[in-house]
Amino acid sequence: MASAQYTRQAGPAMTEATPTATAIRPPQPVKMVISGGFGVGKTTAIGAVSEIEPLTTEAAITEVAAGVDDTSLTPRKTTTTVAMDFGCLTLDPTLKLYIFGTPGQDRFGFMWKDVTAGALGALVVVDSRRLDECFPAVDYFEREGTPFAIAVNAFDGVLSHSLPAVRSALDVAPEVPVVAFDARSADSVRESLIVVLEHALMRARGY
Amino acid sequence: MSEPGRAGPAEQGRRDAVEQVSAVRPFLLTEGRVVDGEQALPMETQLVATPEALAQLEEPHLAFERRAIIETCRVPVSLAELAARLKLHLNVVRVLVGDLHTRQLLTVHVPRAAGGSDLDILRRVIDGLRAIHTSGGPGHD
Ligand SMILES: Nc1nc2c(ncn2[C@@H]2O[C@H](COP(=O)(O)OP(=O)(O)OP(=O)(O)O)[C@@H](O)[C@H]2O)c(=O)[nH]1
Ligand SMILES: [Mg+2]
Repeated sequence: MASAQYTRQAGPAMTEATPTATAIRPPQPVKMVISGGFGVGKTTAIGAVSEIEPLTTEAAITEVAAGVDDTSLTPRKTTTTVAMDFGCLTLDPTLKLYIFGTPGQDRFGFMWKDVTAGALGALVVVDSRRLDECFPAVDYFEREGTPFAIAVNAFDGVLSHSLPAVRSALDVAPEVPVVAFDARSADSVRESLIVVLEHALMRARGY
Repeated sequence: MSEPGRAGPAEQGRRDAVEQVSAVRPFLLTEGRVVDGEQALPMETQLVATPEALAQLEEPHLAFERRAIIETCRVPVSLAELAARLKLHLNVVRVLVGDLHTRQLLTVHVPRAAGGSDLDILRRVIDGLRAIHTSGGPGHD
């Protein structure tokens, strides 16, 4: 690809430059990820904090089937569409936060790479009644070294298990934050994202 | 960002161009080329139409999908947002964006890899999120 010749955003120069009429300067984009099992409230959480209606991006994935096509003797290919939703928040004119949801299915792991590459951190949403469904996400972020926190979605305000019980069931490292959150509340989701970022900050400082 | 409520004649023409896009088969648009996932542009890459591109909007020969991309990129737009708005698959948009960039119709701002270890960025995002929190806003419920 010709990506080498694309404009790579510079560090401080990016934020100090004054926009001119001829060259519109886009904000520096940063991203976070909201992940977790099926139906745990990922899209709800993105919608709660986003300044735009959550959008859905589709990507086509071609899977080569094991068998061969009878007529052409070429490997049979099937194309699956994976949908990823996302929202955004303009933090200031020079900085825009994108929040991406990971597609639920485990076997699309490599799509996750696209979603999570360069992310500041991830929030893994957990339904306390179905804890095991977040394991693929937890495993993934541990393996990639992405800072993450666990957000236990208290559907209808009641946690089926206490936070310490959730922590011990998930067996995450002691420094990984585990918080309760309400996916429908903008404040709650924002606070949980801040928890992720503060955890990332601690880690980056070497604590 | 976009204003779906308003539809002057120019606005309507633009929308027609955008709507036509999803009817075109991805393979026709990209001539069958594929994008290597590893080197692909990040989804938050910012895209802006160049003045040359905006001038070309006057020309009738401009293909629908290219016109739609340029229209959408009058203001900075992320790759993911562009794909979502045009209802095109992400990798198709990556290829089209590469073409438009080669023709100098689009500036492509690849984000510098921040990641979870950029202290300055982390602090700025935390402060930004806190500022939204304390100022309150229509998002409360
Ligand atoms: N009562 C209650 N319902 C919720 C809460 N969060 C999400 N829901 C509901 O749970 C359902 C699933 O939420 P989604 O946000 O679509 O979950 P998701 O993780 O995006 O789901 P998939 O993308 O299908 O994996 C929806 O009907 C939501 O309205 C919550 O905190 N409380
Ligand atoms: Mg969803």
